[in-house]
Amino acid sequence: MRTFLLPLLLVLSLGSLTAAPVVGAPGLIRINSTIQTYSVSQPWERNTPTKRRGLGAVLSDLRILTTAEMVADTIYIELESADGTRTAPAKVLAVDYEANLALVTPIELDQSAWVKKIKPLETNGPVDIDGTLDIWQLEDNGNAIRTVGTVRSVDQLSSFIAGYYFLSYEVKGSMQSASSSYTLPATRDGKLVGILTSYNSKDQMSDVLAPEIVALFLADVADGDYVGFPSLGVATVLTEDPQFRAYLGLTDDHGGLYVSRVLPGSSAEAAGLKEKDVLLSFDGKPVDRRGYYDDDRYGRLFWTNLIRGKKKVGDSVKLKILRDGKTMTVTAILQRRVDPLIPNHIHDKPPTYLIKGGIVFQDLSRPYLKAFGKEWESRAPLGLLDALRNPEDYEEGRNRLVFLSRVVATPATIGYDRIASQIVTKVNGRPIEDMNSLAEAFKHPVDGLHTIEIDDVPYVLYLDATQSDAVDQQLIKSGLPELQRLPE
Amino acid sequence: MKFPLLILSGLILHALPATAQAPAPAPAADPFGLTPDTPAAPANAADIYRSVVRIEVSTQVADYRTPWNSGRFGGGTGSGFLIGPNRFLTNAHVVSNARRILINERGSSVKHPAKVVYVAHDCDLAILEVEDAAPFAGLSHLDFGDVPQLESQVRVIGYPVGGDRISVTRGVVSRIDFRPYSHSQVDSHLVVQIDAAINPGNSGGPVLQNNKVVGVAFQGLRQADNTGYMIPTPVIRRFLKDVEDGEYDHYVDLGATEFALFNPAMRRALQLPDNGIGVMVASVTPEGPCDKILQAGDVLLSIDGKPIDNAGNIDVDGEQVVLHEIVERKFEGDTVELEFQRAGEKKKATITLTAFPAARIFALCYGERPRFVFFCGLTFQPLDLNLYATYQFSDPRVRKTYQNYVKDTIFKEREDVVILTRVESDALTTYIGGYAGKMVDEINGVKVTSLKHAHELLYAEKQPEFITIKCEGISRPIIVPSAEVAAANKRIMQTSGIYQPANLEAPSSDSR
Repeated sequence: MRTFLLPLLLVLSLGSLTAAPVVGAPGLIRINSTIQTYSVSQPWERNTPTKRRGLGAVLSDLRILTTAEMVADTIYIELESADGTRTAPAKVLAVDYEANLALVTPIELDQSAWVKKIKPLETNGPVDIDGTLDIWQLEDNGNAIRTVGTVRSVDQLSSFIAGYYFLSYEVKGSMQSASSSYTLPATRDGKLVGILTSYNSKDQMSDVLAPEIVALFLADVADGDYVGFPSLGVATVLTEDPQFRAYLGLTDDHGGLYVSRVLPGSSAEAAGLKEKDVLLSFDGKPVDRRGYYDDDRYGRLFWTNLIRGKKKVGDSVKLKILRDGKTMTVTAILQRRVDPLIPNHIHDKPPTYLIKGGIVFQDLSRPYLKAFGKEWESRAPLGLLDALRNPEDYEEGRNRLVFLSRVVATPATIGYDRIASQIVTKVNGRPIEDMNSLAEAFKHPVDGLHTIEIDDVPYVLYLDATQSDAVDQQLIKSGLPELQRLPE
Repeated sequence: MKFPLLILSGLILHALPATAQAPAPAPAADPFGLTPDTPAAPANAADIYRSVVRIEVSTQVADYRTPWNSGRFGGGTGSGFLIGPNRFLTNAHVVSNARRILINERGSSVKHPAKVVYVAHDCDLAILEVEDAAPFAGLSHLDFGDVPQLESQVRVIGYPVGGDRISVTRGVVSRIDFRPYSHSQVDSHLVVQIDAAINPGNSGGPVLQNNKVVGVAFQGLRQADNTGYMIPTPVIRRFLKDVEDGEYDHYVDLGATEFALFNPAMRRALQLPDNGIGVMVASVTPEGPCDKILQAGDVLLSIDGKPIDNAGNIDVDGEQVVLHEIVERKFEGDTVELEFQRAGEKKKATITLTAFPAARIFALCYGERPRFVFFCGLTFQPLDLNLYATYQFSDPRVRKTYQNYVKDTIFKEREDVVILTRVESDALTTYIGGYAGKMVDEINGVKVTSLKHAHELLYAEKQPEFITIKCEGISRPIIVPSAEVAAANKRIMQTSGIYQPANLEAPSSDSR
């Protein structure tokens, strides 16, 4: 499994033998996005907007397929004709950040007659290894550029959100610099196969999301509410180590994945899976000691494809496991993954916060910690990093991890200025399980005082209830839009 | 080959509120109860020069990355001076990790073998004696003065780099402050900053005023010119008094930290009037002197009768100093009187001060062979500052355990925090090489409480078929089949050049 992302489409090489201009290529449309994220340290503010230009594949019923990267955190999405003469504002129909797929459609149908004239692409099935596909770009004048690429290998890659791996083709083909090249449709025989998510100009390799993933995404959207890809909800460890295998009682003809954690509330927990179980097979497909199974089409693939690449929420999977030296079979009904205590990503939802008397509270997310820079894993506050790495020690009594992120100097916070990044346990005697319970707790000061309990020195802070309300009003006057933004 | 002057990184946190000049110390006590035939303090410069000696040290510095190895051999020079019959005062860092110490008298090339009598790493001071005191018999014993006044002039005498003969520089006292002592990396005491050049080799030499010693030159500042630091006489006198009974007992500690009570709402919650008096107890060291007497949230009102202000400062002879200055001057077994308030009620307590050995995990250890246990390609070492500085652990659990070792009472259940520091290459360890740098939690299901305990568990005579080692942050146990232990140990020790399977010798109490 690849663990890092290639730089996205820095196409430097000039023309190639396989590229030839094609006028009137089918189903291509330009997408221009304006992206504006929120400030991590001052969550009431938005950062400076950035623009991103990519392509979409026009499907039937005015649905346009593109990557989640093109629509995440956008404040405006615009469709543009290949020749650049027409535009139409668009909205998101569905988005899957983890799989990096999105569907958009024009907002005003009467303004988008030109979109209707684009001949929609049909979808195609899988391509075998060594098969070819066409990757499409657009020149400024609207001509399409076709690059023929060869599928070199198939792997599970994560392209937008680190840690979520989806079946992808690794395609060899030399592409050139062209406008709107952020995401590119790939076709075979004029039918859509997948979406190119990244290109490395050095080795001329592209990652193209596989048609199986596109099909699962489209099917999920088609049946109404978009649910997302299923998850078993286990953390596993490989069983290559012969000493470890002997200890587990795994014979040499077995593979096996050691279950190191069963996430609470997950499909695996409901199925009765336990820590220390060894997963031997999924629906009769044995997994080897490194977690690979033999895929009928693509050869060796990591076991997660048996869940994410083949199933939908509500499907079941039959698991053969080894427990205490005995094999047994359990059936798991697959669910959507459980929301972790500390979310891995937040998109299109403004970060929540609450300010009281100048003290800023937020709920912890991985993006918050990553904002500490490249060296965030050593530079971010230790207490918060520990919670990210060992969430099981913090999960009890919490839906989210609420922490005191910083203290704005106000008359109410004299003497508190240096306190930051502390996990909040109680406010006014009430345990804090999420931002909503924090907001509720602040409604109940005792004897005119708010009592805030945190998990490190000085362990407790007090605010004068009347004074902090007055201070908060001054913060509003000085330009703070709202004192709190709570989860919906 | 000059002994490097200790250099402050400049990034050391200013942990305590700055204090102004410390009060003048108690009247100059005779540091050793010196015998009546002690030569009188010298009146002229030549006599003083003769009493300042050059100290040549050969060192062996332990390598915590390969704890079975001998470490690096090296050496350097520093300065020292005669303070009593066959008693030379110098810095602890001059003689730390010493294998051989030689003392040179001014104008003589004879090298006199010497040894350390007392060493105090927490205040960077040491006393040496020579094997044969006769050649030094006629020399003057330097006398101690008080803390010099700001802007007054001082002389620094010693044997710094740049030549072989004695060197004298002059400067004025620029600042008197409570600052970190870089030798142990964790202690802070009174320091006097002077603008005389203090260079490598000056360490341990006297700083004089009116022919009396007012300090020992000991550290500089890398990114600033003309800033030298000396250990002033209150710290020196405390050290000399501490060792009078024949051993060094270390500084004592109150075992409580404070949080300044500037916030009016906080004062109201703690039922305090708005009079600027009282500092909140932020934490109490478990099993420390104040344990079970104070608790977090109490408000300290006075110490030894001196009112404590809302920042934790007290007034001593018209100077504002942190309340810990009272404790700084005291010794093991001494008491302080505390007045405090809990839930609006005033209370009094007498606290018996003690040193707190568990907290020395945060101090560098000198002159000891590193402790370790080797087992089938795995090296286990106890967590302390030396190890931490060597490996720069990135695992948040290891970092958090270290940081909270005292605060969260981890020392009570784990005398040592045992870290799996190395995994040697071998067929047995092919798949566990990435597990180094994690903290050992259990061996064979038993919680590991110390390195010695880990050794007992790993090398127990009766073992289960599979020895299981569970580490924090590794999601599966490390397995060693007990049938393979003997052969694997022999094989890996031989190929990796490890001649000794463990060093469990407890470090001596004056190693940090």
